[in-house]
Amino acid sequence: MLYEPTPKHMPSLRELQRCVMQAIQGGEPDAAAACIEAQGISPAARLAVYAGTARANFIASLVSSYPAVQRLVGEDYFAQCAHGFHRRHPSLSGDLQPAGREFAHYLVELHGDDQYRYLGEVARLEWLIQEALLAADHPAFDLSKLREVAPEDYDELRFQLHPSVRLFASSYPCVHIWQENMNDAEPEAIDLAEGPDRVLLMRSLDGQLTFHRLSRSEERFLRALYAGERFGAAVEAGAAHDAGADDGDDAFDAAAALQRFVVAGAIVDFQ
Amino acid sequence: MRGELLSLPRGPLPAQAGIGLRAPHHLEVLGRPGAAAWFEAHTENYFADGGAHVQALMRIRADHPLSLHGVGLSLGSTDALCRTHLARVRRAVSRFQPALLSEHLSWSSIDGLFANDLLPLPYTEEALRHVSTRIAQVQDFLGMQILIENVSSYLQYRCSRLAEWEFLAGVAAESGCGILLDLNNIYVAAQNHGFDAWRYLDAIDPRDVKEIHLAGHSRAPIDGRELLIDTHGAPVCDAVWDLYRGAVSRFGARPTLIEWDTDIPALDVLLAEAAKADALRTDAEAHAQPA
Repeated sequence: MLYEPTPKHMPSLRELQRCVMQAIQGGEPDAAAACIEAQGISPAARLAVYAGTARANFIASLVSSYPAVQRLVGEDYFAQCAHGFHRRHPSLSGDLQPAGREFAHYLVELHGDDQYRYLGEVARLEWLIQEALLAADHPAFDLSKLREVAPEDYDELRFQLHPSVRLFASSYPCVHIWQENMNDAEPEAIDLAEGPDRVLLMRSLDGQLTFHRLSRSEERFLRALYAGERFGAAVEAGAAHDAGADDGDDAFDAAAALQRFVVAGAIVDFQ
Repeated sequence: MRGELLSLPRGPLPAQAGIGLRAPHHLEVLGRPGAAAWFEAHTENYFADGGAHVQALMRIRADHPLSLHGVGLSLGSTDALCRTHLARVRRAVSRFQPALLSEHLSWSSIDGLFANDLLPLPYTEEALRHVSTRIAQVQDFLGMQILIENVSSYLQYRCSRLAEWEFLAGVAAESGCGILLDLNNIYVAAQNHGFDAWRYLDAIDPRDVKEIHLAGHSRAPIDGRELLIDTHGAPVCDAVWDLYRGAVSRFGARPTLIEWDTDIPALDVLLAEAAKADALRTDAEAHAQPA
């Protein structure tokens, strides 16, 4: 036995854990400190070691999810944002990977109306990139299976996208911003008026992250497939607004779109 | 799951030194099969449905024995066990077929909030019963024995009634788990709290010890005193190598891991530490008293 029993109230395990978590996550160490031996170092300082590690682990996870945002704002400001985000959105899992899910929204709250308003959109792109990189693997499309279906029956098929496919649209040239900030070289200046992004991003069969720029009609077509619509309905979605011709697209060519996304490995199966 | 390796070589970890597998070394390890006798991977780092890291570990596993080491189950928490997390662990076991699976004698969550750090338990009868029950539940769920690792600590609770080694030995006896004895963590805790690390080793039943961890630590000045911090960012210190020699004498040769998690050095630095562990073990075995 190491210790003499004390006459003080002995907290239950659950009470003790609540006090310690309040000290570590809430910055209120008093209740926990009363439960801890000093031994030459104040209980608050001892608890602060754990609080520092918990915060550092959380921020490290955010850095690994948002490397381009960190490069854009610098390590110090990123750490400041991450700290604020941590307080608002503490981890709810023993796996830190999902902890940064709402970071894009947080950046929009911070900078949605100022000259850094693109940050939230770059963060949203980086989260989709994370999802793409961690998504399930899938073998290449077995085209012989599709050849057994008569083209006139395609309308009833539900084409399946590769699990890593994500669709991204933004007001700013976020893919260009991201690419510039993932190189070792000094990033070049980017004109925010370069235009909006519409891209399909995915992990190719060889594991590389790939981007495919989309017309508005292709985006509508893919969003319909993503939602699980039949091919016929997706083609209608793709062609829906072409009549207005105010979006700069040529008429939607469904056969060409299908071929493009099968060749890209984005469409991998059908039901 | 597609791509799952169904016929991986099975068998125990060799009683030699292995190294902690970290993502920056994936490609080099794939290009140098057999460079280390075995690898240990953090279970949560391979929770993804697919992708490059999962594929890399599958290929590395095909050529090497593997141990999976978790940090996120929060075994000592008084919250309910997280079934989602447990299911991911079970999937990792099914995918990678590790020779050993380990977790920590600690807690990290309460009321659904996670600190994502290894927080020490109070060494009480209540905590001993609680964490032992949870470990038994995990073993039942996974259908296998798990190993429990002693953690570094920077505080002691006033309500503790047992010595840490009594608590660890009691948990092993009550839950049926094995022990992953981290000698650096023993050293860090012993220095921070003023107990004798050798007394710790003497209190552990050799039959329970299935794996040993070795790592480096740092020193932080706090309140005019010095606290040792378990950073896993430095070479193993001489005092911990001495403990390793003593552990081999007491427990016999065990799979021994070189852990390095921050400021990760070149693979060859880790391999050199593993070679040093192997040499020390061989020497300690040669000088051990016959049983």
